[in-house]
Amino acid sequence: MSRVSIRTARASLAAVAAGALFLTGCSSGGGGGEGGDKSKAKQQGQDVSYTFADEAASQGPAAEVKGGRKGGTIKVLQRDSFAHLDPAQIYVSDEGSLSRLIHRGLTTYKRVSGDKYQVVGDLATDSGQKSDGGRTWTYKLKDGIKFEDGSAITSKDIRHTIERTFAPFITEGPTFVQQWLANTGGTDYRKLLKDGPYKGKHLPDSMLETPDEKTIVFHFKEPQAELPYALAMAGYAVVSEKKDTKEKYDKKPLCTGPYKIESFKSGKSMKLVRNPEWDPKTDASRNQYPDAFDIQFGVSFEDSTKRLMSDAGENQTATSFTNSVDASSMQKVRTDPEIKKRSVSGYQSYVSYMNINMDRIKNKKVRQAIAYAMPNQSIVSAFGGAGGGQMAGNYVSPTLVGHKPTDPFGKLKNPQGDVKKAAKLLKESGKKGMKLTFAYQNAPEWQEFSVAATQNLEKAGFDVQKKDIIADTYYDQIGKVKNNYDIYHNSWGADWPSASTVVPNLFDGRQVQDGAANYSHHKNPKFEKEMDEIRKISDPNKAAAEWQKLADKILTEDVPAVPMHYYKTIQLSGSKIGGAYFDEQLHDIQPTSLYVKK
Amino acid sequence: MLRFLIRRSLGAVVILLIISAVTFFLFYAVPRDPALLACGKNCTPDALEVIRKNMGIDEPVPVQYWHFMVGILAGREFAAGDCPAPCFGYSFANQDPVWETILDRFPTTVSLTVGGAVVFLIIGLGAGMIAAWKKGTLVDKAFSSLSLVLSSMQIYFIGPLVLALVVYNLNLLDQPKYVPLTEDPVGWFTGLLIPWLVIQIIFTANYTRLSRSSMIEQLQEDHVRAARAKGMSGKYVFFRYAWRGSLIPIVTIFGVDLGSLFGGAMITEWTFSLPGLGTLAVNSVRNTDLPMVMGVMLFAATFIILFNIIVDAAYAFIDPRVRLS
Repeated sequence: MSRVSIRTARASLAAVAAGALFLTGCSSGGGGGEGGDKSKAKQQGQDVSYTFADEAASQGPAAEVKGGRKGGTIKVLQRDSFAHLDPAQIYVSDEGSLSRLIHRGLTTYKRVSGDKYQVVGDLATDSGQKSDGGRTWTYKLKDGIKFEDGSAITSKDIRHTIERTFAPFITEGPTFVQQWLANTGGTDYRKLLKDGPYKGKHLPDSMLETPDEKTIVFHFKEPQAELPYALAMAGYAVVSEKKDTKEKYDKKPLCTGPYKIESFKSGKSMKLVRNPEWDPKTDASRNQYPDAFDIQFGVSFEDSTKRLMSDAGENQTATSFTNSVDASSMQKVRTDPEIKKRSVSGYQSYVSYMNINMDRIKNKKVRQAIAYAMPNQSIVSAFGGAGGGQMAGNYVSPTLVGHKPTDPFGKLKNPQGDVKKAAKLLKESGKKGMKLTFAYQNAPEWQEFSVAATQNLEKAGFDVQKKDIIADTYYDQIGKVKNNYDIYHNSWGADWPSASTVVPNLFDGRQVQDGAANYSHHKNPKFEKEMDEIRKISDPNKAAAEWQKLADKILTEDVPAVPMHYYKTIQLSGSKIGGAYFDEQLHDIQPTSLYVKK
Repeated sequence: MLRFLIRRSLGAVVILLIISAVTFFLFYAVPRDPALLACGKNCTPDALEVIRKNMGIDEPVPVQYWHFMVGILAGREFAAGDCPAPCFGYSFANQDPVWETILDRFPTTVSLTVGGAVVFLIIGLGAGMIAAWKKGTLVDKAFSSLSLVLSSMQIYFIGPLVLALVVYNLNLLDQPKYVPLTEDPVGWFTGLLIPWLVIQIIFTANYTRLSRSSMIEQLQEDHVRAARAKGMSGKYVFFRYAWRGSLIPIVTIFGVDLGSLFGGAMITEWTFSLPGLGTLAVNSVRNTDLPMVMGVMLFAATFIILFNIIVDAAYAFIDPRVRLS
């Protein structure tokens, strides 16, 4: 299968062309290597749990990996080079995997067992102490945390890390904390600190306070129950105040994780070596087994799959952080026992949707007819079958806390769509024979799907006009509010294991604008009010359940988009790589547990 | 000769200017915004404006083109640092300096191209000569048939096949890779041997057929027959008289092939995951990375034009009957 792509600016995306996935902080998924595929269990609504950990759980060292041993070099085969090394510019998963090795932030994720994860203190002693109903969060720094040059990490560095994200040259990283501090949407937060901290101005203590060398206090106007999730994003990893070189930091950052960068030749290679200043006693979630990681870029999915399947020569000690098994080899990987045991698999964070342009299709029965007609199984098959995806019954990914396997349009019962019901609804709407402009990317998967979808829609009574759009410009075209298409697909992944970064992005009517992710142009003040209410809930798990309920209400009452499938992936390693597991939060192999076998 | 070179060089500059203008303006004809690349996940129109300003693409396209061309001749200043001439700017995708990146990738492509060319010239010309020498025999027929079969192959087909056999199954060689010649000559040779041999399979076929037919034609020329009639040995006539004449069509096609091999390196580099100019070009287009696209395009075009000038000049050297005008 092909990964959901990305790197083009806006959110979603499913291009085969470009590159890495946006880094998301969420979820769960069926881990392959260690415990087989758990997707069936997830479909039944079991699983995934995240808790905000206390000081005891945040202490290092991390638990030893069974059989783990020090030494050796791991070869890493990557398709795309790392575009950014400055944490504040990091939002894609390739760099997210790298960040696990070289960067650290106030919080991070720790796998306790299987699907059980904790948000623990990373540089901080715990996941955060909240007060004032979640408007104030306090963090204390651990002892013994240092940059690679040996200098101690202090609260001033944390303040600097946050403040520099307001500077105009920081454009690609997350913006959640900035927006929460400024209590505004969009990029208005930049007005607070136009030049970042570089011309002597700072955020007022009423927003960000550092009373001593070890303490950082965030003050928000509204409760922010999910701050520990947000701070665990790679984009908020610490940057040295004294050694910040602004734009140039992107090429030469100071590392804080178990590894540091010995050399980086953009587009060609990177070598990571042990960081002697990293103290395992301060780190609850990372190990440091291999002496080095030797990363090679420009290796296509096909090439890395063939190399790793062959297990010949240096490929025995090779893996990939983010390259998936390519679609043509997926069957072989799933059925050959020798290769399968070297694979890990699980969910990506992304869900694909068929958006219905509500500015053009205002009749609810027509939208329902489209929803019933969609052949969800066809898109799963196009992405390589069970290894590449799983049919979606609703908008919320099984990787998110609160996910329920609801299925209001009976997708799981009718994998190829319910054409009869669709025809009946269309007839009732009085729109039988209406023209329906269907836009899709000219990527092979979507082209294949378009054939089956068109057949169903035509059988239901639509006059389908297909628009095959070049993959590279697809999101530019459908991102325009005044586009000429009736239905078009997109994909979206959460930023952390809560639908709070899914439902509002996709369906908040106040976010309808060119380039925004509300591709259906869905507007409903009733639901927008509910979104605002859910945001105020201080218990993240309770809020997560409410997001699922709201998502289902939007789906059944307004039908702005049809949930299509949950993306999945399979990854391979050589036979001499140990400790490989599919991290359900990272959505990729976890690099910090890997070791070279004897 | 000097007048010829000056005239052709001026012509080359004009061609490069046209290529640069066409590439630059075509880039903006595609409905794709490079600022989106750097806009993060939750992009908004005002965030895009900030990025367009940072990238310098908020100005009219002709003004951008002017700044770009001035930068090549006189250098420019960017937030990421000074950019001395020839300045092609900084990558939109990762802020790498374009010129340094091209220079870094160039040795890979040159090693691949020149090494491959040497192998296919030696094998192709050798096989063609033998076939011509043994015209009508089983050897001739075998070479001719083989060249027909091989000329229908493609690198992206035969490359993975050779890898599967030689690297993955028989473990005879390591995965192809580029190691600088100056650092490790043996590693350089062994790392590129498979790509060279694969390139050779595709190109050798053409050279075998061409050199065979050209040589047979030359052997029937009056001056060659006269030399034989004077009593010179067959071997002497073959190499001294016929061989030199048979090279003219070879040089023509070699100039074109070397250019296309250089320009088409992207397929070979992609097949073997080698970090040369070809893969750089593909990734730059994929990433809507205008400065890098422009840099690679102009650099490659310069070399292709240069090869053509060299080929034209080489005619006169090989065959004094050809006059440069």
